[in-house]
Amino acid sequence: MIKIIGAILIVFATTWTGFEMAKQLTERSRQLRDLKTALQSLEAEIMYGHTPLHEAARKLADQLSDPLQSFFATFAKKLIETETIVRDAWEESLKEIWGKTALKKNEFEIMKQFGETLGRHDRVSQQKQILLTLTHLEREERDARDKQQKYEKMMKSIGFLSGLLLIILLM
Amino acid sequence: MGLEVDIIFKIAGVGIVVAFLHTILDQVGKKEYAQWVTLFGFIYILFMVASIVDDLFQKIKSVFLFEG
Repeated sequence: MIKIIGAILIVFATTWTGFEMAKQLTERSRQLRDLKTALQSLEAEIMYGHTPLHEAARKLADQLSDPLQSFFATFAKKLIETETIVRDAWEESLKEIWGKTALKKNEFEIMKQFGETLGRHDRVSQQKQILLTLTHLEREERDARDKQQKYEKMMKSIGFLSGLLLIILLM
Repeated sequence: MGLEVDIIFKIAGVGIVVAFLHTILDQVGKKEYAQWVTLFGFIYILFMVASIVDDLFQKIKSVFLFEG
């Protein structure tokens, strides 16, 4: 009896692990898409709304869903409340929320480089920087979607099958 | 005798699961991992069978050479 309970627990745990890993892949492409939307909104705010950066960040935080929402909220808060430059505030908020996202190091570098250009040029150059970042993110998103299609099913099956194998070996 | 049947089922189970793993890994293009998985499954079963065959030889020895 206790053997069967243990077996069920093992299969449950490994299957869950597989599903978590598959979820990580799905989340990555979803968050990249969100990130692109965020940058496009930021571009609109800067180009057409002439909104100051902290206000634009606050508005973006209202529009977006979770990991990015807290990112822009932190960013806006840092800009308003502390005596800092935009680049540092951007990088610090990026580091703060990075653990919660499913994004990889490439995206972190892209976003960090974008933060370094933020608020240092006139509107037209700023727009060019945003477009450049969007291009980079586009590439990453394509990569993420490829990986998702390829590995999502595999992760799920492998989770379950490895649990089964473990049970047979331990029986 | 019951133990022997158990082992046969175990081998069959390992075979089926390893075959599935091989197919899935092959499909997504991870051929090298697929081969490793199959190889390890094969080695594991080989050891199991070797120990059973060893038992058989011991028994034969004890029957015909009056040992043990």
